[in-house]
Amino acid sequence: MELQVREKGYGMKEKIIALIEEILMVPKGTVTETTMAQELEEWDSLAQVMIVGELESKLGVKISLEEAMEIKGVSDILERAGIS
Amino acid sequence: MEISEKRIAVLSNVNMNFTLRKLQRQLKVYQAEGYGNELGLLLDPNSSYMSFKPQITFLIMDLSELVAHSKGLDIAQDALQSWFASLEDSLKNDVIYYLSDSYYWNPELMIMPCDLIPQRIENLYLSLLEGLLERHDNVRAFPLASLVRKLGEENAFSWKTWYLGKILFSNEMQELLAEKIVMYVEVENRIAKKVLAVDLDNTLWGGLAGDYPETELQLSEDHDGLAYRNSQRLLLEFKKAGVLLVIVSKNNPEDAWNVIEHHPQMILKREDFAAARINWNSKDVNLREIAAELNLGLDSFVFWDDQKAERALISELLPEVSVPEFPDSPEELTEGLKQVYDCYFRKGRLTEEDSKKTESYAQNEKRKELLGQSGDFGSYLKKLKMKLHACDPGEHAERMLQLLNKTNQFNLTTRRYTQDELRAILEHDEIHCFLYRVEDCFGDYGITAVVIVDCREEVPVITDFCMSCRIMGKRLEDAIIDRVEQEMRQLGYHELKALYVPSKKNLPVAELYDRLGYTKMTEREKQASNREKSSDGLIYCLSLDPPQNREYYVECI
Repeated sequence: MELQVREKGYGMKEKIIALIEEILMVPKGTVTETTMAQELEEWDSLAQVMIVGELESKLGVKISLEEAMEIKGVSDILERAGIS
Repeated sequence: MEISEKRIAVLSNVNMNFTLRKLQRQLKVYQAEGYGNELGLLLDPNSSYMSFKPQITFLIMDLSELVAHSKGLDIAQDALQSWFASLEDSLKNDVIYYLSDSYYWNPELMIMPCDLIPQRIENLYLSLLEGLLERHDNVRAFPLASLVRKLGEENAFSWKTWYLGKILFSNEMQELLAEKIVMYVEVENRIAKKVLAVDLDNTLWGGLAGDYPETELQLSEDHDGLAYRNSQRLLLEFKKAGVLLVIVSKNNPEDAWNVIEHHPQMILKREDFAAARINWNSKDVNLREIAAELNLGLDSFVFWDDQKAERALISELLPEVSVPEFPDSPEELTEGLKQVYDCYFRKGRLTEEDSKKTESYAQNEKRKELLGQSGDFGSYLKKLKMKLHACDPGEHAERMLQLLNKTNQFNLTTRRYTQDELRAILEHDEIHCFLYRVEDCFGDYGITAVVIVDCREEVPVITDFCMSCRIMGKRLEDAIIDRVEQEMRQLGYHELKALYVPSKKNLPVAELYDRLGYTKMTEREKQASNREKSSDGLIYCLSLDPPQNREYYVECI
């Protein structure tokens, strides 16, 4: 986990976007750094829970239980991950 | 039927909606309302689950939730027993159920003393599951625990999603679950292959039988040798699951048999193979010969050979035969064989006959030798000392269904039945079912013949008569029909009708009823007899007195 956190920075943005696309089961390129949840039918609350869970276990990006449902789009996630 | 047509339900006591979302891409999936109400949905005749009419229902149960974190064995036992009892009450005969095995996992376990209570709770669950499997043909075990072990708890479970939405499993685990569910739907939907035709050199062992013993083979307890040895261990499991292993190899037979019978590291023995062609003939010729010998269609065969050219030849000349890719290196052999098993051979459930299959075919070889020695057919049949045992159809409904639905050649009407239809027939007072087990001096064939007689009209009718191809050509059908006629006579009937519906595959029995002394009814007689249902087939008729004088050598018990 520690190692993954230190890896943030180069490529991290791409990894986060790829992970979101995987959970949403959408083609590559569908999600960009400005995508908002409400723009995509696939991005509902169930998908959001899975995204938050996978961000932590796969990329070490921690979003607290309280914040989890406040995420409105990719930019919120990038902010929580320390990339802006 | 395509699997996308199958109606599937996945019920759970944890949130599996994300798995359902994955499954929807391939299957018709029931949209569960929430989770944790699996018994309610199963038991309520008006539930949305019931009106969806699923053909296969997967129950993926979290054991910790099921026993409500109970660490007391007694409390857990009560909870599990009552859950299983309700589940059993809810089972429907026309649905196939896959129930997960047990994996006990919860946060308390991290500091619980090592008192084996979790394992005991798992065992309690497993023994209840086992009981259910024994009592119900339509229930199978779903291997949840092995998927968790494959990923490890760290990767299989997710606290975050559990707290956020009662989603117990990580994305990776749900991906595996969805894959397994699709695999089992495919297993239930297809007809499994029956024969794996294996090559020898660089397939069962590394190196060439022709060079042995001067050059040692790769077949040992380490390195590549162990990889080949392990692959033989898997093949032995194929055999136990009812797959017939046959050898098709270009070799001098004495060299090859020398390795099989005398190499100390061989796992497979000569008797594990149902047939063999070890010679220098083209492999398509050998496969055809084996298919004829075993009385099976080439579409039941899978070809396992390391040589690309041989695989290409079989694909080209015998397109009915399935030809999987062969792994590039020995360490991939077991994974390759696992895939072959899942893809072609896996069944939802094994019957007793499956596990005895190879023995039965091997005994056939001995029977052929006896025929060679006996001279004429009659004295051969006498020497076989065949015995026909009547069995209770109600007790062997699973096997009866298998015989009716899988038999093609010796099947007079090729009627197929669902489990429910068969049950209705078994319970019907005016329909009589006869089921027979056959043995001879070489061994037991198991339950291999079935006859159904419909007595709802004035003259009873043999609507179904099937025999396994393994017992064909021994005049057993004469003995069986004699017995059925005798039963009908005892019930007070003086006439018996029999149906024959020709199909592409049942030509061997086209003349059966003629040979047994029955008379074919003309179109006019047929119309007069008013059996519209059988208008596509032929109706035969026989007067039951006096009894027919047929020649066979079977002791009826």
